[in-house]
Amino acid sequence: MSDQPPVREPVWSLSRSAIGLWVTQGVAGTVAYGLLLAAFVLLVPVDAGPVVQPLRWAGGAFVAVYAVLAIAVRPRLRYRVHRWEVTGEVVYTLTGWLTRTWTLVPISRVQTVDVTRGVLQQVFGLATVAVLTASSQGTVRIPHLDLGVARHVADHISRRAEQTRDEAT
Amino acid sequence: MTEPVARRTSPRVLLVHTVTFRQARSLVPVALALVAGRGLSGGTTTVVALVLGITALSMLWASVAWWRTSYADGDTAVVLTRGLLSRSVRTVPNDRIRGVEVEAPPVHRLFGLVRVRIDAAAGTVVGKDEELLIDGVRRAEGDRLRAHLLSRRAVVATEAAGRHSAPEPVEEQLPPFRNRWLLYSPLVGSYLVLPLAGVGALFRLLDDLPDRYAPHLGPDIGPPDLSDRWLVAAVLAGGLLLLALGAILGSAIVNWRFRLVLRGGSLIAERGLLTRRHTDLEVDRIRGCAVSEGLGMRLVGAARATALVTGLGDAARRGQLLPLGPRGRAWLLTDLLVPSPGSLQHHPPAARRRRLGRALTPGGVLLVVGAVLTVRSGWWPALVIGAVVTALGVPLGLARYAALGHATGPRSFAVRSGWLVREHTVLQRRAVVGWQVRQTVVQRRAGLATVQACVGAGRGGYAAVDMAAAEAADFARAASGPWAGALAG
Repeated sequence: MSDQPPVREPVWSLSRSAIGLWVTQGVAGTVAYGLLLAAFVLLVPVDAGPVVQPLRWAGGAFVAVYAVLAIAVRPRLRYRVHRWEVTGEVVYTLTGWLTRTWTLVPISRVQTVDVTRGVLQQVFGLATVAVLTASSQGTVRIPHLDLGVARHVADHISRRAEQTRDEAT
Repeated sequence: MTEPVARRTSPRVLLVHTVTFRQARSLVPVALALVAGRGLSGGTTTVVALVLGITALSMLWASVAWWRTSYADGDTAVVLTRGLLSRSVRTVPNDRIRGVEVEAPPVHRLFGLVRVRIDAAAGTVVGKDEELLIDGVRRAEGDRLRAHLLSRRAVVATEAAGRHSAPEPVEEQLPPFRNRWLLYSPLVGSYLVLPLAGVGALFRLLDDLPDRYAPHLGPDIGPPDLSDRWLVAAVLAGGLLLLALGAILGSAIVNWRFRLVLRGGSLIAERGLLTRRHTDLEVDRIRGCAVSEGLGMRLVGAARATALVTGLGDAARRGQLLPLGPRGRAWLLTDLLVPSPGSLQHHPPAARRRRLGRALTPGGVLLVVGAVLTVRSGWWPALVIGAVVTALGVPLGLARYAALGHATGPRSFAVRSGWLVREHTVLQRRAVVGWQVRQTVVQRRAGLATVQACVGAGRGGYAAVDMAAAEAADFARAASGPWAGALAG
């Protein structure tokens, strides 16, 4: 009973290409940490102090663990926990694994809809939809949708917002 | 529709700006650098020449600025034109005006002038850019301007609503503020900080003074004798008394003769001892009210009330309904503006366990560390401190739990939380522009969730902390509208 989520889960998942993007990010992060470690190993001689040897081992272990988590685990986990949904009335998202956050915004209160594409996102044909309201807290971000889906969603939201806008902000 | 007349500000503003070095203020560092570089070798003559020069320059500058500045308040928009070389023309349509503030700083008041601040906030943009300042018009002109702008706004609004006759502006005096309530100020954190900041500034000034002018204590006055308990106690008591007096003085300067009037759809607040401020809020833009009670204020039953207004810059100050006063008065004003949703519902016992757990954690950690230290090296003070902190955590956790609550009514809802400053927020249903439900791992296991209403006013979000997870969807729907039913599915 207590494990029941407080509110319903949105139905749709992000694009499967998002996994590829997150894996790429994980690989990039691993390479960056690996290079840092290599620089440390090459530039700091072992006899520089008693902590150098343990630091090398710790660094190696860190890079290995990070690689497994960031490449094999995190992308799939993220794909599973990010969910979203757009109906005629609302935009609804769920994010977060340990701390979960559900955000619901009625389309009648939407002020602007942004579609942004980062460099990596362009490579994977993805886009992020950000829905802004009058409240600084009430911003909904749907990351990594297929470009066509993102454009369609943004179009739908702005059209519905036009139809259902009410005066209150 | 008549062609708007371009008007100048009053020429008396030249004197104000000369006296306050408004434009020439930027020259002061240059002058100081000059003095520092060349030294004051010429003695008094140089100083006098310098002062005269700066004053003359300041006057010249102020004249040019005055000559090149004009404003026009037409039927549809206000236009402010200024600038010597690069002309800037700012136009604010009347229907975008959120509020008009007439303020009279002391020097302005001396010359019978006021400053008119016109607010035209746009959506989520925050900043001073959305403001139009007409500095230095006569009091009567300031009042005319305010009345004109606000009446135009009302006409635009009624025309938009399809009505043709503008309603008669009826003035309604709300329950008055009493200056004796300023005596509550020493119990309010933000007012206590005021004298401290003053003392800090004084010390910095003393630091900057050349040693020659700094007061010197005689060599026979050594460091004070700390062994005299009575002396220490007296100094402490004196310091506290001064702090309290400073807090009262500081809050009196800001809040003296606070007055709240309801006139034709606007809420007008007047306040201030030296600078008299006149703030205008559209009642229609009020989305809710917050009644906050600090720890000290709760002891004497005091509270402050703030209106949460959309599209209002500096809302914390301008939205104030009651800067300080008895709790009953704060609620009286709040209920006038936002219908009360009824009494609060308490949160489930699991919320009390969570508050207690969080309040006991720091003490518990200290206790463990203290126990380890006691066993290993016999150093026991950490253990004692840990025990005291843990013991204090119990009432703290219980008090924090007691502060939690939420309520829903037919037209509004309320949430309450906080211990150091307990904030009870009542919001209209239409205020909600979104919901955010958060659940940490601990909350998930306890069956709790934090439900935050996103609001385009005030802080932007107001949360019902640790409510029963099963009630979250129902609360959201009851507090906003059928659209929130999407949470329940």
